[in-house]
Order: sequence, then structure tokens, then C-alpha cells
Amino acid sequence: MGLVSAIKNLLKGLGITGKHLGRHAITIQYPEERYQMPERSRGIVVLLSDKETGELNCTACELCMRACPTAAIRVESHRDENKKKVLDGFTLDNGLCCFCGLCEEACNFSALKMATKYEFSTLTKQELIWDVKKLQEVGLDVDYIDTRKKKKDKPDADQADSGKPTEEKPAPAEAPANPNTDTPDVKNEDKKQGDQTDAGD
Amino acid sequence: MSTPLLAVGELHGVFKSLHELLVSLGLPQPWQSVVMYAALGVTVFGVLSLLALFLVWWERKIAGHIQQRFGPMRVGWHGWYQTVMDALKLLQKEDVRIDTRDRVVFFWAPVVCFVAAFLAYVVMPFGNGLIVADLNIGILYVMAVTTFTVISLLMAGWGSNNKYALLGGMRSAAQVVSYEVPMVVSLLAVILYVGSLSMVDIVESQSGWFNWFIFRVPFGPIAFVTYTISAVAEANRTPFDIPEAEQELVAGYNIEYSGMKFAMFFLAEFVNMFTVSAIATTVFLGGWNGPWLPSWLWFLGKTLFMVFLLMLFRWTYPRLRVDQLMEFAWKFLVPVTFANLILAGIVKHLGWGWWE
Amino acid sequence: MTRLRTEEFLVNMGPHHPSTHGVCRLILTMDGEKVIAIEPVIGYLHRAIEKICENRTYPMCTPLMDRFEYVTAMAADHVYALAVEKLAGLEVPERAEYLRVIMVELNRIASHLIFWGVTAMDIGAYTPFLYGLREREDIVDLFEMTCGQRLTYNYIRIGGVSQDIPPEFVPQCRAFIKKMWSKFSDYEGLLNENPIWLARTKGIGVLKPETAIAYGASGPVLRASGVKYDVRRDDPYSVYDKFDFDIPTQKSGDSYDRFIQRIDEIKESLKIIEQALDNLPEGDIRAKLKPKFKPPEGEVYSRIESARGEMGCYVRSDGTVKPVRVKLRGSSFNHLMLMPIVGVDCLIADLVAIFATMDIIMPEVDR
Repeated sequence: MGLVSAIKNLLKGLGITGKHLGRHAITIQYPEERYQMPERSRGIVVLLSDKETGELNCTACELCMRACPTAAIRVESHRDENKKKVLDGFTLDNGLCCFCGLCEEACNFSALKMATKYEFSTLTKQELIWDVKKLQEVGLDVDYIDTRKKKKDKPDADQADSGKPTEEKPAPAEAPANPNTDTPDVKNEDKKQGDQTDAGD
Repeated sequence: MSTPLLAVGELHGVFKSLHELLVSLGLPQPWQSVVMYAALGVTVFGVLSLLALFLVWWERKIAGHIQQRFGPMRVGWHGWYQTVMDALKLLQKEDVRIDTRDRVVFFWAPVVCFVAAFLAYVVMPFGNGLIVADLNIGILYVMAVTTFTVISLLMAGWGSNNKYALLGGMRSAAQVVSYEVPMVVSLLAVILYVGSLSMVDIVESQSGWFNWFIFRVPFGPIAFVTYTISAVAEANRTPFDIPEAEQELVAGYNIEYSGMKFAMFFLAEFVNMFTVSAIATTVFLGGWNGPWLPSWLWFLGKTLFMVFLLMLFRWTYPRLRVDQLMEFAWKFLVPVTFANLILAGIVKHLGWGWWE
Repeated sequence: MTRLRTEEFLVNMGPHHPSTHGVCRLILTMDGEKVIAIEPVIGYLHRAIEKICENRTYPMCTPLMDRFEYVTAMAADHVYALAVEKLAGLEVPERAEYLRVIMVELNRIASHLIFWGVTAMDIGAYTPFLYGLREREDIVDLFEMTCGQRLTYNYIRIGGVSQDIPPEFVPQCRAFIKKMWSKFSDYEGLLNENPIWLARTKGIGVLKPETAIAYGASGPVLRASGVKYDVRRDDPYSVYDKFDFDIPTQKSGDSYDRFIQRIDEIKESLKIIEQALDNLPEGDIRAKLKPKFKPPEGEVYSRIESARGEMGCYVRSDGTVKPVRVKLRGSSFNHLMLMPIVGVDCLIADLVAIFATMDIIMPEVDR
């Protein structure tokens, strides 16, 4: 390692850092400038409403609840006189949500979407638990492609719903267990058709 | 003016009117000198403090832009008063009182460091005639005074009652003392030519075009390079910043300090950086010599260039290990600087320089 | 003449430390400045991933695998998907295999860029960290454009991948590859020949090939010691046998070689990605799975070459929708156990350099 080559290399290092001084910075000044999120970006989960009537698309089929690995979703429903399911309550705990997107893929009714919004910090953990009203409100201005069978002729296999995972048929779902020990009062345990229900240990 | 050592050049008018004011107030003579010197001291101290604040901001901006990000941006336009805010924040932090027997030593270490940093500016020629006191032992005084920081490092290490701080303090002291030798011997090669230790004489011997010592080819650039390396080590900057590095387990001497005491160490480091750059400017880069612009602007510009070079070193190079650092000083720099001194002597004696 | 008695003392390089990558505690026995013995204490990042997997169905375990090794989450998803596919005998469509290869190699580059930056930062050069992350931003933007996340992707699923790449992926990926090739002069010029860097890393922490093999080291650590072993070449999985790439090795196995090795591997990964983009076939991206996915009874172990070394996944099934046992093998565990061998008889500053170049990340060790 000669002296000359050492000096040359030291100067080369200075040159490399020095030439960056002339370049513009690549960072943005948040919150004045915001990054344009890609459309598939998995932000907060929202409930979608029909574009014309404004009603929730959710049919309380509970597929998303079964698909969620952290049991962040809780759906309460009852059957009315026509044996159709009516949604009573839908709770999403953003503190438990791991933003994996499995619920969005499980839903067949374009009811649930991971919007590209992300600025929802709160001061208490309780405020992170969102009910139907909040979920619908945040989802009102989220654009989505309606893939319900009544509206279009065929659900299009592009965008976020391509490659549907296994939870396609609503009825015999995969019956996950209730994994969490700190939410012992999951109300819908009896409604599941699965066999394995070890209340997690 | 009856104070023979006071040479204030371009600020002459201001100080003359101050002197006349004191005379008209009827102050006796010794008190007049005291007030005049105090005014001068406060001016220099004020300018240097502002410079230190500016240097902290500048370092953060340069570090940011080298790393392709902005530095401070929020506090004022491009964050220009960020340092002031940081100083205010440090002021209101809790001054942690550690469990130590030597409270006096612990208390006075940052003060000694801070004061020692400013002492060198008594003989710094800021411009043509802008010098507080043109001592005829100018550069020797500066060398002596920059060694005071070693005392403060040892005091900080000892007074912290922490074996790691002590080890860190001793290491920094060893580093500073070892790099004093090549620093002084590099400067000696130049002083050989000047023939006098006075800072003003050193600057005046570089007047004219390209008479600067850095251009005096056989020994000048070598002396400049070895001086710069020693200066970086004296100022405890990367690649010699073992005392400050968080990644090394043996932490530095200042870990037990918080609040304003820590701020004093921190500001003293930046003032030290400016000091060694100012000495480099004076001795190698021609001081305040330069055409068209006022002399103090030349001095400031050249010193800031040297400071910029030091900052570039910090953000480019990795850190040397302690034993490699000491080995480099004693086994490489000291022989090279002594050889350079001999070379300078030979060149002077035989008159080989192109500037003769 | 009396001799001063010196004593060894214990220093705790605790879980919180700017230089341990993640929460790892090393108890060092030191004689002055020299390290005599190291005892790693782990478990600070244990999240019981393997146990949680026993209570989740097979598709639900994929987000967990992301978190097992979040620096190379694609590889973690991949090894689990390979294991379950082997168990269930699933045939993955070819387009999905190519997409998987592209994603895994991009993730490898991202991981090596982080390694490069963090190692430089540990040894004192602060700037390379930001340069590495600047390039990684481009890779992570590609991932976000495809699957929506930047760190825990949940993209490589059982049977294929979850979504097809958008049309702007291929041009942006090619632009990234071109940019990355042009950046190597910066990366190599900054540190590779720097005398300070050489003084800090050459000859430090030499790992002999026999020791490396005996302790189960793999990946760049093994290849830097001179052993030419790569799971992609010696036990090919997915479509790696269709690509043409070299396996770089280094000679002496010291920290410098481990550092250089990963830069060379970035170049090989770039070649693989280019070939994959050129030959990307059309077709399905996911095999059809039954709604209640129940693989047949049995056990399987699959392994891949992740950025850090050999990553393995053992799955045992008893025919139900949930796995009976999922065991994950992370290479950082073996490398951490190499630290007491390689990291002794050196100064503490060298220990930092050795630990950094081993590229140990704690989620793999603790799971």
C-alpha cells in the first residue's frame, strides 16, 4: 500500500463526497410536501360505500374477520326475517392491524379496502379502535373499482384483486382460531363453522 | 492612544471615539486602558461566539448536503438560528450532579476548556492591523495555549468519577499531546524562513503574489499537509475522534456532562476548529494577504475554506483505532516533519527556492 | 521486583448500544483493551413467531414470515412458500417463479446496501449509510408499486405471488439497474482502497474455512472465507438453474473480505434481475388453492439462499388447516455463535468491526 496510492485514494474519497455538495437533496419537506403514494399502497383499512346510494357495501359475510391473522376485525350481525345478514357493528382495531392486506383480498363485495391514507396517529390506544361510522367516513373519498357481481358483468382480474387467495367461497371458511389471549370476549366464535377453535395459548 | 500594544487598524475610528469618551468622563489613566482592553476583549469574544454558532449551523448544512438531504430547515430560513435554539434548549436542561468527591475539578473542567479555546485569539491577525496584541512570541504563545485543553480533558475524565470517562479522557489527552509534536515541527519549518515568531511578521512575509508558504514547493506543501493532519487530531475530529465516538464502548470524557456544561465543551470544540484553521491560514495560506477585497474578508474566507476542508474530512473518512492513531503520529508524522524541517533548512541555506 | 496484578473485568455491551445491530447483548471479558471472551445473550427480540404459526392457517402465516426476517422479507416469505408447496405438491406457474426471483434478488440488493451503510457507520464513516439508503429507496419504491408495502410485503404467497407487476415496473426496474451499475464507482472509491478503512478491517477477525463449515456458517460469511457454496447453485430451487451468474469468493476471510464479498454479490444479483426481466414469461401468477387449504400429512424442510446465508423452514402438517410445527432456521444465529471464536484476542474497536461485517440481525436470531 504505497504512500502515493494512499494519498490518491484519500483525495478520491474527498472528491466523491465533495461532488454531492453540488447535487440537490432528495428528501422532501414533510408536511408541506407529501409523497405521492402508489395506488396499491397499503395504508389504513376503510369501509367502502356504494358510489350512488352511499350505503355500505358490506354484507356481514365475516370473511375478512376470518382472514385477519391478528383478529383485528370484529363483525357483529344478525339475520333478519329474510334470513339475510344485517350488519350491526364492525370494529377494526388499528393497533392490532398488521396491514397485511389479507382482509381486502378476502372480501368479495368491494366492501373493504386499504386506502393510501396513513396519517392517523392518536394519543390513546382506545382511539385507534374504529367503528363503522369512522371507517365509512374515512372511506368516503377513496376511489375503488366495484367488483360486485351485480354491477359489472364479470369481476375484472386486475388491480388489487388479482390472484385471489383461498378465501373465495364464502360458506365453509377456514375457521381460524382466535389467537389473541387479550381479547377473550370475541363474540362470533359460535358462528364459525370451523373445527379448530383452540382459544389461543 | 497611549496603549502601545493596541493596534486596531480598520476599527481605529470606533476605538478612538471610545477613548475620547473615557477621557471626557474623567477616568484616570489605568482605568482607561482597562476599559479599552475590556471593550476589545468583549468584541473579540462576541465575534467568535457568533462564529461558533455559525460554524455549528454550517457543519450541519454541509453534512446534510453531502448526504443529499437538507440540514436544519425549520428554524428560520434554512434553519439559520437552529444553533441559538439548541443553546437555549441546553440551558434549560437539568444539570446532573454526579456523585463525585472532586466537585471542583468536575465543575471547572468545561470552564477551562472554554477559556482555553479563546485564549489563542489574542494574537490572531484578523486583518491588516486587526490584532489584539502583536506579541513578538506570537506563534509560540498560540502553541502553548492550545495545550491547555489537555488539562481540561484530564479534569473532565477525573472529575466524572467514571472509569470509562477517565480512560476516555486519558486517551484524548494522549492523542492531543502526541499530535502537538508534528504540529509544532511543521510550523517550525515555516518559522525558519520568517525568522520571527510574531504572527504579523509571518503574514507580512507572505505578501505579494504566490508568496504563500503553501506554494513554496519543497517543504511548504508537506508542512501544510502534516500540519492539517495534526490539526484534525488536535481538534478531536474524525478520523481521530475516538473521544467523541458513540460506537466505541469506552466513551469520551464528556459523558457525565449535561446541559450548559456540555454546551461549553461542544462550543469549545468548534472554536478550537476555527483556531487551528486560522493558524493554518496565517502560516501557510498568506493570512490576510490578497488583492481588492478588505483584508479581514480574505482572512475569513481562507479560514472558512480550511474549516470546510476539516468538515469534509469528517464526513468522508472512517475512524482510526487508538493504537493506529498513536502509531501514525509517532512512527510516521514525527519523522516526516523532522525530515521536512531539515529539508527546509537545506533549502534556505542553499537558496534553492524559486521565490528567491 | 513486584509485578502489578492486572485483573480481567466484565463489560456489558448491552442491548441498547449504537453499534449492535438490533438488541443483542454481549458480555465481554476484557484484559485492558483486549477482548478475551464473549458471551452473547439473546432473546430480547423473541416474539414467539413459531408458536403463533401453530394457531394460524397456512395462508395466514405469510405476514408472520415477513416479520421473522424483516430486512429480507421477500426471502422469508419465499422459504415458507417453498416449504408448503413442497408439502402440498403444488405447481407454481412460471411467471410467478420469475417474479419471485426478481423480488428476492432486489431484496438481496437492498439488504446488502443496508449492510454496507451500517458497517461504514460503525467504523466511523457516516456518509455511506445515506448513500446506501438512497439506492434502497428506489428498490423499496418498486416494491411499494407492486405490493403496497415497503418492509413487510406479504407478496410471495403459497402457490405464487399475490399481485401481478404493474406496467411501469419493468421500465423503472431497468432504470434502477442502470443507475446501480453507475454507482459502483462511488461505492468502491469511497471505502475499498481507503487506507484508514484497510487499517481498520484488513486482517481483523479472520475466519478459517474449516471453522466456518464446522459452525454452520453460510452465505457471504462462508464465501468470504473461500468456500464456494451457494444454495442457489448447489441445491437449486425455483428457477435459479435457468440463470447465468457467478459465485464470487474471497481469499482470506477477514472483515475486509466479508465487506467486499457483499458488494460483489450485489453485482451478481443485478445480472440475475436483468436476465429475469428479459425472459419474463406471460401467464398466471398464482396456483389455485382450495378454500380450506389442507396439505397432506408429512414434514418438509426447504432452504434458500437469503442475503445473510442459508435460511430454512421446516413445516410439519397433520392434514388439518393449521401447521403442527413451523421451525425457522436463520443464518444469523450461527454467525452470532461464531462471535466468541472470531471476536476474541482483538481490541474492542475491532470487535465492533467484526460484529458489523458478520451482518447479524437479531430478528433472525431470536424469532
